[in-house]
Amino acid sequence: MQTDAAVTPSLASALETLRTRGLGLRRGSDPEPLETSRPAVPTGHDGLDAALGSGGWPRGGLVLLDAPAGSGATTLALGTLAAAQAAGGLTAWLDLDGTLDPAVAARLGVGLEWLLVARPRDAAEAIDIAAWLGRSGLIDALVLDLGERAVPDRRALDRLGSLLARSGSTAAVVLAPAGRAVAGAVAGVRVALHRSAWLTVGPDLVGQRVRAVVERHRWALAGGSAELDLWFAEGRRIDPIVATMAEPRALEAERPALRVVSA
Amino acid sequence: MTRLLALVWPELRVPEADPRPFDRMLDALDDLSPRVEAVDVGVALVDITGLEPMWGPERRIAARAVMLARDVAPLCVRCGTGDNRWLATLAARLARFERPDAPAAFHDLPRAALRDLPLALLPADAVTRQRFALFGLTAMAQLAELPRSAVGAQFGPAGERLQALARGHDPRPIVARRRPERVVAAATFETPLDGIGAVSLTLRRLSAELCDRLRERNLAPGRATLALLLEDAPDLRVAQPFPQPALEPDWIARLLISRLEAAARARSCRGAELTDKQRATEPRKRANEPDSWPSVAPAGNFRPGSGPKLAVSPAGGQTDETEAPRVVALTLAFDRLSDPSTRQLPAFEARAGRWEELRWSLERIRHRFGEGRLWRAVDERPTASLPEHRSRLVDIGQ
Repeated sequence: MQTDAAVTPSLASALETLRTRGLGLRRGSDPEPLETSRPAVPTGHDGLDAALGSGGWPRGGLVLLDAPAGSGATTLALGTLAAAQAAGGLTAWLDLDGTLDPAVAARLGVGLEWLLVARPRDAAEAIDIAAWLGRSGLIDALVLDLGERAVPDRRALDRLGSLLARSGSTAAVVLAPAGRAVAGAVAGVRVALHRSAWLTVGPDLVGQRVRAVVERHRWALAGGSAELDLWFAEGRRIDPIVATMAEPRALEAERPALRVVSA
Repeated sequence: MTRLLALVWPELRVPEADPRPFDRMLDALDDLSPRVEAVDVGVALVDITGLEPMWGPERRIAARAVMLARDVAPLCVRCGTGDNRWLATLAARLARFERPDAPAAFHDLPRAALRDLPLALLPADAVTRQRFALFGLTAMAQLAELPRSAVGAQFGPAGERLQALARGHDPRPIVARRRPERVVAAATFETPLDGIGAVSLTLRRLSAELCDRLRERNLAPGRATLALLLEDAPDLRVAQPFPQPALEPDWIARLLISRLEAAARARSCRGAELTDKQRATEPRKRANEPDSWPSVAPAGNFRPGSGPKLAVSPAGGQTDETEAPRVVALTLAFDRLSDPSTRQLPAFEARAGRWEELRWSLERIRHRFGEGRLWRAVDERPTASLPEHRSRLVDIGQ
């Protein structure tokens, strides 16, 4: 899990990009400084925090995890909630399809006593509840899981985004495989996840390596990327011996037998 | 010199007694004296020091206290007066009813009268009583006249305390209860309103009025109680406790209306069940009655089209046509008043405190979106072998 330095643009090239886009001409010759000190909720992965440039998911921001099924978006979102709780925060999961498994969440380090689960009736209601929770200013991180089929309304998401920005306290992570186009246009931060390798110990599959690319970032420079090791079954509490022994295996190789390390 | 009046209601001292009238009795006794202590359920101490010029002799003061308490619940009461709480409660214990149907018994116990009383009246444990008997001590005077050092050497500090009681000394002061404050606003409708939904505007106005009054005093209520006086129906009463002191009239009114509607629904359901049971006790059907006829119809004089009016529900079922009761008056009360800035966070934990604050927002969300939306996962069986058995989701309203 290191930041891919080759993909991260240098500060000079970034400033040059801004100048060519005309932003530097607004006031004299110096471009306006970027707001990089926005408070953030840790993602649970140091590499991704560094790649985001803001130290995590920005508070008051709408974050889209753009990932195909099985690419670790849910695991990453649960890890975010666990990290937010570890920092003393309250968290919420808006579960449109009712697929959240508390046992998995607990294994990934989420404290169930500080997790609120909302089960809205449809996508519009889910966005409404997210707005209510964001407006309370008491939730540090919430995950808006819209399921496999729901497509959110663009205007509703816009309203949610502006409300969260005004509140400035909640980081909202959106999982919307079907509505990625709509959510991607509205989200302040868009991170694409792609599985790059399996992680195996001998013949057993113990996790996957995912490449996270920051495609858009409203409050910091986009373009950063990181490699995340997402472990099956044990999540963050992976046995360090297993983590040391795990080897990446190319996706083209024969898929090894799935094995839960320890339940 | 302090003078105390002890009141003991024997019917409230039994384990299966209903303790609810006791609090209201204490509220009533507040009109007699500003210092009233609830010693236990069914036992109250009233400080009557200096009340004689206002209310007359102590016996008359006791009679007044009995009258105030009997206005709440007609229970027999033993009254005792003394210089301290030990003498007053012992006097109440020794009070004897003059006739079997007497509502009250009164006894005054001066300190000097203790001498002749048996030692068994002291609140001592069985072992101490046995040792008193071994030493030949049977009367209060015998224990009172012993040197304090000798009693301390034989019976320890507990014995010294008992000897002080036998001498009529009790240093424990009366701890007056804090009178719970309640602010009330009421409205009466000259023309009764149709249905409970029509009261929302009035309720909102009364809620704003009470909130304004409390805001001026930097207080906020912890509970709101709404009582509706209905025409031709029993009164409807709902109470809404708040997770934290709240001064938001609009939301208080909305939550109360929500509770009110739920209570009205529950009452109508109970009414329907009752009606069904009444029907079930009647003859099920006549010999020539077809099986396909509605079971809710009275069997005695049923004719298709001539029975009682039935409203057909959208689902196809049939329900009785009922009229919503009309509202004659409503009373809104706020109590559990406290300073909102001095509320104590549970366990001094910041996150727990924030969760408590969040509960207030969650209550609003529940009200807006309905039941079954908000859940919490609980670790039910952390050691279960299957992960799916370790935790489950529970509705946050439960």
